[in-house]
Amino acid sequence: MAYLEVENATKVYGGAARALDGVSLSVGRDEFFTLLGPSGCGKTTLLRSIAGFIELSDGNIKLDGRRLDTVPAHKRDIGMVFQDYAVFPHLTVSENVAFGLKARKVPAADIQRRVAEALATARLTDFRDRLPAAMSGGQQQRIGLARAMVIRPKLLLMDEPLSNLDAKLRVDLRDEIRDIQKKIGIAAIYVTHDQEEALAISDRICVMSTGRIQQIGTPQDIYSSPQTLFAASFVGTMNVLQRGTDPALEASILQDAPASLSQWAIRPEHIRLGEGDLPADTIRVPGTVEKYTYLGREAHIAAKTSVGKLVVQVADPEPSLTMEQGHPVTLAFRRGHVMGFDQQGARVSLGAR
Amino acid sequence: MRLNFWTVVSILAWLILIVLLVIPLGSVLLSSMQDAAGNFSLANYERFFTTPRFRTAFVNTLIVGFGGLVGSLVLGSIMAFCMARLEIKGGRFVSLLAILALVSPPFIGAYSWIVLFGSNGLVRQTLMSWGFFMPPIFGMWGVLIVFSFKFYPYVYLLASGALGNINRSLEEAAESLGMTPFKRVMKISFPLVLPALSAGGLLALIHSIADFGTPRLIGRGFSVLATEAYTLYSAEIGSNLGMATTISIMLILLSMLFVFGQRYMSRKNVYHGNLINKPVKKKLTGVWNVVAHVAVYFIALAGAMPAIIAAIYSIRRTNGPVFQPGLGLDSYRRILYNLADVVQNSLVFSAATVFLTVTIGTIIGCLVARRTNVNTSSLDATLMVPYVMPGIVVGIAFVAAFNSPPFAITGTALIIILSIFIRRLPYSVRSSASALRQVSPSMEEAAISLGYSPLQAFMKVTVPLIVPGIIAGGMLSFVTAINELSSSLVLYVGSTATMPVRIYIAINDGDYGTAAALSTVLLLISGAAIYCAFRLMGRDERALL
Repeated sequence: MAYLEVENATKVYGGAARALDGVSLSVGRDEFFTLLGPSGCGKTTLLRSIAGFIELSDGNIKLDGRRLDTVPAHKRDIGMVFQDYAVFPHLTVSENVAFGLKARKVPAADIQRRVAEALATARLTDFRDRLPAAMSGGQQQRIGLARAMVIRPKLLLMDEPLSNLDAKLRVDLRDEIRDIQKKIGIAAIYVTHDQEEALAISDRICVMSTGRIQQIGTPQDIYSSPQTLFAASFVGTMNVLQRGTDPALEASILQDAPASLSQWAIRPEHIRLGEGDLPADTIRVPGTVEKYTYLGREAHIAAKTSVGKLVVQVADPEPSLTMEQGHPVTLAFRRGHVMGFDQQGARVSLGAR
Repeated sequence: MRLNFWTVVSILAWLILIVLLVIPLGSVLLSSMQDAAGNFSLANYERFFTTPRFRTAFVNTLIVGFGGLVGSLVLGSIMAFCMARLEIKGGRFVSLLAILALVSPPFIGAYSWIVLFGSNGLVRQTLMSWGFFMPPIFGMWGVLIVFSFKFYPYVYLLASGALGNINRSLEEAAESLGMTPFKRVMKISFPLVLPALSAGGLLALIHSIADFGTPRLIGRGFSVLATEAYTLYSAEIGSNLGMATTISIMLILLSMLFVFGQRYMSRKNVYHGNLINKPVKKKLTGVWNVVAHVAVYFIALAGAMPAIIAAIYSIRRTNGPVFQPGLGLDSYRRILYNLADVVQNSLVFSAATVFLTVTIGTIIGCLVARRTNVNTSSLDATLMVPYVMPGIVVGIAFVAAFNSPPFAITGTALIIILSIFIRRLPYSVRSSASALRQVSPSMEEAAISLGYSPLQAFMKVTVPLIVPGIIAGGMLSFVTAINELSSSLVLYVGSTATMPVRIYIAINDGDYGTAAALSTVLLLISGAAIYCAFRLMGRDERALL
């Protein structure tokens, strides 16, 4: 049963530029739903129109069966977490958290209890009487989160909440956000341009580009069977090759693929160096090493082949392994891992496997 | 509803500008293009360019403008470099002296220079008795010296800020690339502070052109456009408004020309320093250390000297206008008994002006900052005009515009208040707009998403965040308002005289004790206002510019 429903959302900014172009999606009652895409893809526009800060040019949004377009932003009862935290610098931590409850005329005793609860959940109890100015980015964002949740909103919106934090903190806080969301069982919409973050945190992901939806699905769906070349390249890394550079070799890779197939792709972790026993549908491609990059838990080998440049990801590489430029290698991958796309970037079936 | 509110604000803002700027300027222009009979004629301009007296004043104005610019740049750059890059003992005291130079009441400054370096000046007489000849300070060079020491803080405050913000890595990178220290300064540091230098220089130039007290007192026959305009306007017999307005137009054109010139010069020079690697202050030793300290303290003390002299002379015993040996409070007593109404006028007018600029300026500032469109941008641009109008021109323009119905308000307190209000409005709009831009819009959105209406969100979140800055800006406007001389000198009548006007009259009457005491009172009031402002928003001398 859909809880939040967006139908044909379109936003036109003066002239022809469409920030949103006919976006329709639905989100479940306690689902963690992520809008993923590069900057300018429309994800923030969509989020802000759900919050009520932007008016759609066309289409409508329903929350729990009720149309939102006639409800002003401050009556929508939607909590929001901001990229720049938007913590009120003139209020203490607990005053920040109590701010929304005061607007709702909650009795003082209840405010105290609920603020204490929210502070405990966000691990801020020790800072309750501090002013936020001197606190770290991570702590400020926890205030933002506690402040948005304490009003028990119908929906929680998060606009790139972690993008101003450093890498380590980003991972810790995203797990916390996920845990808190599941604990209180609230529908959450999360905007990010970080694909790894999206994969780690979401129940479902909506990949967006130039105002349109590319694909909606679970993290597994999105990663393992991307429906567009954009989704395939944006989430994870991908070797993308043009058809027609070595027709003979491509014939064995693509076999009876339709003529509309113009590009094909394979993920680096699906290619290996072709030694030892391999499954029956394995394809071997000879090439020479262009660059070897050692990254500790993995290594990347960029190789030049007759079908184009391919990057191979080797897990747990031997420290002694080095590869000189020009060193001959054989790359091996299974036909089943190859994906095909047409001129427009839509997925094309490779036929019977 | 919200949209309506801003539309009303926008209409009111334009109305204010039309009544207080466009109509007065239009009247000035009209009056300058009429002959005695009221017919259209360019005779005034013809006369301006053919009469030797006006041509000389025009050339002299350029001389004091560029002379003041060069002098301020030299003194200000030396101060800025020493204070930003070297360890100078008593740095806070030095910047206090710079503030003193900036707010020392007009006119008393010129007088103090005469006390020390005039024909019978203290310093000059002493030197002469030792056998050194020293010419009295009067004339062109005197004016230039006074301007340099009076206006150097504009350059100093802006340039020291810029110098302190240059990322040290930039200079180190230049060094590692093999540049000599001299080349490094010329190729890296100088271009980076150039925008600040030119902005400070512009302020010094515009103030040098607009100042009329100094050339009047020290010039001794060295006349500039500002003094000519005032003389023509105020002549008891044969007051010539048409010629005074013509000169006013020339003054405005000159100021505008320099403003646009500076903008054109620094159009590409916008550098955003990052503050990762701030420059450290170097500690000099030996002779150079002494040289740096002497230079800094010489400039700072010379700049603050007028204020200090005024304070000292205010407590000398007097008998009538004549100084007596010993100390006493006679001058203050005279203020208390005879001039209490003048002090009261100053306080009331300034408070009223500040109230008007702060409330109206803040609302217009919100409009400019939050609704950026063609309308608000042109509003912002139009507000630049009163910013460069010399006070004397504003005074003459107001007389020209408001002498007859429907706006017959000459001779009232209102006209003085309005004349200062329109000149101070640009500062207020700018400062509140920039305070507002510092508050992230998501702050208000957060409040809205938490259940507050847009108006409530503005009142509960944005207002508390910008109020300290606005009050501080108001305090600084108060300092400017209470020290304003040139426009009120044109507009005052007996009952609306203010402290600066009274100082001007006292000096002309030779009543130096009263002038010094009034100046000291002005300084104390200004000091108190600045102290409050700095307490509210942190010490930031640049807010005074």
